Amino acid sequence: MSFVSGVISGAEGPSGGRRRAVPSTLTRVAKYTGYRAVALLLTVVVGVYLTILIANMGGYVDQIRIAQIREAAGGRVAADRQLQGLPISEIRNRIDQYVELEVKRLRLDRPFALRSLTYLTDALSLSLGRAENLTSDSGSRQVRQILLERLPATLLLFATSYLLLFFGTIFVALFLSRRYGSFLDRAVVALVPTSVAPSWFYGVFLILIFAAMLKVLPFGGMVTSPPPQSALEYGLSVLKHMILPVAAITIGSVFATIYSWRTFFLIYSAEDYVEMAKAKGLSSSTIERRYILRPTLPTIITTFSLGLIGIWTGSIILETVFNWPGLGRLLFQAVSAFDTPVVIGAEVIYAYLLAFTVFLLDIVYALVDPRVKVGEERKQ
Amino acid sequence: MKVFFQLPAIPSGLKARSTYLIAVLIFMLIFNLACVPKTSPEAQPGAKVTGLADKVIFVEEPDSAKAVRMIEAGDMDVYASGLTDAELVRRIKSSSVMGSETSYGLNFELTLNPVGPTFPGTGKLNPFYVPAIREALNWLVDRGHIAEEIFGGLAVPRYFALSSAFPDYARLAAIARAQEIKYAPSLAKARAVIDEEMKKLGAVMVAGKWNYKGAPVELIFLIRTEDKRRDVGDYVATLLEESGFVVNRQYKRAAEASPIWIGSDPAVGRWNLYTGGWVSTIINRDQAGNFNFYYTPRGRPEMLWQAYTPAPELDRIADTLDRRDYKTWEEREQLMADALQLSMKDSVRIWLVDTVNVWPRRAELALASDLAGGISGSWLWPYTLRFTDKKGGTVRFGSPSILTEPWNPVAGTNWIFDVMVSRGTLETATLPDPFTGLLWPNRVKSAEVYVQEGLPVTRTHDWLSLSFVPSIQVPPDAWIDWDPVAQRFRTVGEVHPEGLKARTKTVVRYVDDLYQRHWHDGTKMSVADLVVGLALGFDRANSKSAIFDEAEVPSFQTFIRYFRGARIVQEDPLVAEVYGDLTYPDAEWIADSAAGYFYSTVPWHTLAIGIIPEKNHELAFSSSKADRLKVEWMSYIAGPSLPILERSRVQALNEGFIPYPNVVGKYVNAEQAKERYTALGEWYQKRGHFWVSNGPFYVESIHPVEKTIVLQRSEEHLTVDARWLAFTKPGIAEVKVSGPAQVRIGANARFQVDVTLNGKPYAAKDIDFVKFLLFAARGELVQTGDAESVRDGQWRVTLTPEQTASLQAGANRLEVAVVSRLVSIPSFESVTFVTLPR
Repeated sequence: MSFVSGVISGAEGPSGGRRRAVPSTLTRVAKYTGYRAVALLLTVVVGVYLTILIANMGGYVDQIRIAQIREAAGGRVAADRQLQGLPISEIRNRIDQYVELEVKRLRLDRPFALRSLTYLTDALSLSLGRAENLTSDSGSRQVRQILLERLPATLLLFATSYLLLFFGTIFVALFLSRRYGSFLDRAVVALVPTSVAPSWFYGVFLILIFAAMLKVLPFGGMVTSPPPQSALEYGLSVLKHMILPVAAITIGSVFATIYSWRTFFLIYSAEDYVEMAKAKGLSSSTIERRYILRPTLPTIITTFSLGLIGIWTGSIILETVFNWPGLGRLLFQAVSAFDTPVVIGAEVIYAYLLAFTVFLLDIVYALVDPRVKVGEERKQ
Repeated sequence: MKVFFQLPAIPSGLKARSTYLIAVLIFMLIFNLACVPKTSPEAQPGAKVTGLADKVIFVEEPDSAKAVRMIEAGDMDVYASGLTDAELVRRIKSSSVMGSETSYGLNFELTLNPVGPTFPGTGKLNPFYVPAIREALNWLVDRGHIAEEIFGGLAVPRYFALSSAFPDYARLAAIARAQEIKYAPSLAKARAVIDEEMKKLGAVMVAGKWNYKGAPVELIFLIRTEDKRRDVGDYVATLLEESGFVVNRQYKRAAEASPIWIGSDPAVGRWNLYTGGWVSTIINRDQAGNFNFYYTPRGRPEMLWQAYTPAPELDRIADTLDRRDYKTWEEREQLMADALQLSMKDSVRIWLVDTVNVWPRRAELALASDLAGGISGSWLWPYTLRFTDKKGGTVRFGSPSILTEPWNPVAGTNWIFDVMVSRGTLETATLPDPFTGLLWPNRVKSAEVYVQEGLPVTRTHDWLSLSFVPSIQVPPDAWIDWDPVAQRFRTVGEVHPEGLKARTKTVVRYVDDLYQRHWHDGTKMSVADLVVGLALGFDRANSKSAIFDEAEVPSFQTFIRYFRGARIVQEDPLVAEVYGDLTYPDAEWIADSAAGYFYSTVPWHTLAIGIIPEKNHELAFSSSKADRLKVEWMSYIAGPSLPILERSRVQALNEGFIPYPNVVGKYVNAEQAKERYTALGEWYQKRGHFWVSNGPFYVESIHPVEKTIVLQRSEEHLTVDARWLAFTKPGIAEVKVSGPAQVRIGANARFQVDVTLNGKPYAAKDIDFVKFLLFAARGELVQTGDAESVRDGQWRVTLTPEQTASLQAGANRLEVAVVSRLVSIPSFESVTFVTLPR
């Protein structure tokens, strides 16, 4: 919330001043929107370029790669039984040939500074370019294809988990905030420490219990091998394979999230205007809807939006534990292989999503929260 | 494989039905057991077996611990990755439902920086400049401790540049054993040498630490962290610290360490020692070049290797062995023995252990695993994969990675896990023995190898003959070069009108039914399939060709350096002659190399549909060319390549395209070409890919995102040669030595050596040799000799009165080394006896 409120000026209480004339508001909104768009775009450019620099350790990765290429070329030549016994000059020549081919392929013969600009241009234009080492599951070198093949699996698993978790916890939190101090409330508070362990940790246990011991659910993967022919069976198989990872994600954070929301709602429930509403004898559902949910809506929307785009990056360890073919594992492979275009490709999309979401949120705030005003406004 | 039963009519009445059902069940059980293929080392030539696995489902599972649990739970049958985790291996070994295979291809060592005595870059002292200090590390480290404690028993000590699981070690077993005893761990000995040499360097011991010019002697130790080398590094670092050095432990992953140890000038002094590791995925039968590779500047061009200054004698021997510049096998053995000892004196690297990798599987599953490459390195798995308790069935094969890179038959993926799967779909001319590395004929009937006199080549198997001849003239009609413009081969007569000689000639006779076999798309093999590969190889490496690929040039240069011509002598049955200058110590390898020239695992028409987009720069066979042209790397099995390949197929069908018409066109006409493209089109419609070959399995379906490949046994491979089943279990000899507990000096002494395999006598014909080593009371080697064969499974060592007279009173040890012809791993056993005065 502080991130958002820092860039919004003129926030006032529910009974703020009179609005300006419509043309003036439009001008202000347009001006503000333009500034925000430019600022966010610049942020994306700087962020992506920093990612390029970090992913390449400021160019040091070139040295690592060249050393690895030489090592691999030497190994290849050493393993070639036909080359045994040749003069060393010929063997060196052969190694140099292999090294040169690979250096040219990866364009390491161009200075990193120049290549970094190519990475940046490819990224910002969303052409994303070609991967340097990785291929997509179906064998393509196009970064776009590599990401797109993994996206559905990630979206399916994490969006399902996220939506379940988000809406489920909000309703439970609201429920508990009305029953502060009840047994259920205390039980949830007591279970909050379980969220200290990451979801993959629960995943390992769930696999042990339900796959290894009880043998009722699969160990992992997205679908039965070989995948069923019919769409219905395929879908059912995917659902079955989702049970354990979704459960792991849920168990890993459900209690902390409920606790967090429940505390949040409790704070808002203690506001003077809520007390006033209670004094006026309004029904609890009206109070909840108008006086608690409405003012907390910007926070809920912000959390929801940012959480939703966070799905993009997947989860490295959880996907590995459940052998789930998602973006998290892909990113891990890309980082391990120093495949800059793939890393940048994933990051730039995230950056654009984030910038766009932030941009959109500014507008949404103005719509849902009457206290938010754009630009300077004189009180009448 | 499917077997259908015709059941008789069911008798009426419950009791009768029960009896009937029991009878049927018993019958089915007996039938099933009868159909289950048994391991049959003595299988008659040409004998066939049925009942191998019908279907194989490959799935990706990167987590080895989970894979083991899946095997235990019955969700997976075999995992294609060698495990080195002692806890997991204990779990496998103690399970009644799991079995395992073993491989030995990976080893670890300490790479030492030999620059010095001080680093020009830092001025700091480098003790490893001194060969004696390097040699002393052999006494300092306890390889047995590393193998047993750090690797939990999943490693065996290694002292030399020769793998303890490969044939050269077995051949030199007696000498190697003596050296191993000489370099047995001895802290006192190691420290005595280090103390003496450090003082010579001008270092002084101050408060338990060596100081040089007023500062402690620091060793920068690059310790790899991805595997057990982290623990090995810590262990060695502690030993060095206890010996008076300050050790700067730098923990690094491969990518971080690589620019330092191999990518930088060792004279800069950024490191003193490094935990190195090397891997071999095949059984290397000729490791003679290892001394040149590991100990001399000729090994590699990197600056580290250029810093090596081997003793002149080691340098000369290593060079001689590398060039195979010896006349006889005996001469080679002597050179190897000398190199073994001299390399220990040099010790620019301290060999530590050969690791033992364990490959888990279900107990009821059997398959051939390679002693070096394990299951993923095995060529014979498709010919041996079966359940021992039932016929047929589906095997679920887990693999750490699947579909890692695009598959194409020219320059596609070479990832071991992809290659392992694709091997199941190919039928090669020869197949490597997973236990010895020698080649066995598969689609070859016999071969005649002619070698120029004076070259040290031997033959083991009788499917080929070996003859030595004064000189070998290459016939003028043999193909030797390629004309990319005319798209035809040039002959030896054209290129070398003065005549051409070769060092070897191999006549390969292929099986009689070669052209009766079908490709997976139903088309029949023809001569056209066998010649297209050679033309394509020449064409891709020629800069004037429309499909030139510069990435092909280095390997082609190697090929052309030794290639002296090839020709088809007879088309049906196919007989081909191959001439070359490359020789190997084993004639089997020469024959194997020759057999591949006129043999193909891919039909010409599937290559043709790749040649078209390669020419049009729409796709590229190699990764390098694809990246250069910014097109897709060609994949015959999935992805964006498939529509392009399909378009090429349609174009080829419409045009009756025949690649290299001056070569292939002699064996195929336009009508036959259209039939082939039509069959391929039907295959693509049915299977969704273009991966067509002739192996035991075909690719039934591919699921890239789900990381699953399904292979189905081909109709033509429902029966396989029974001889392959013998390669399911390595025949590592079990040895027991017995004899008198007391021997009087100057008297005869006889010891019995029992050599068995699975409790049965080991056939004498399968034993290469049984040697004995006699160690006196103080551990010095006093005698070596050969044991004599008594009968199958029994050998005798006789110590003559002269030999016992050379012993002094006390406890002595007789060690026996048994080397089998069936497996490259030698077996050792010893017995202790006491000598009494005369």
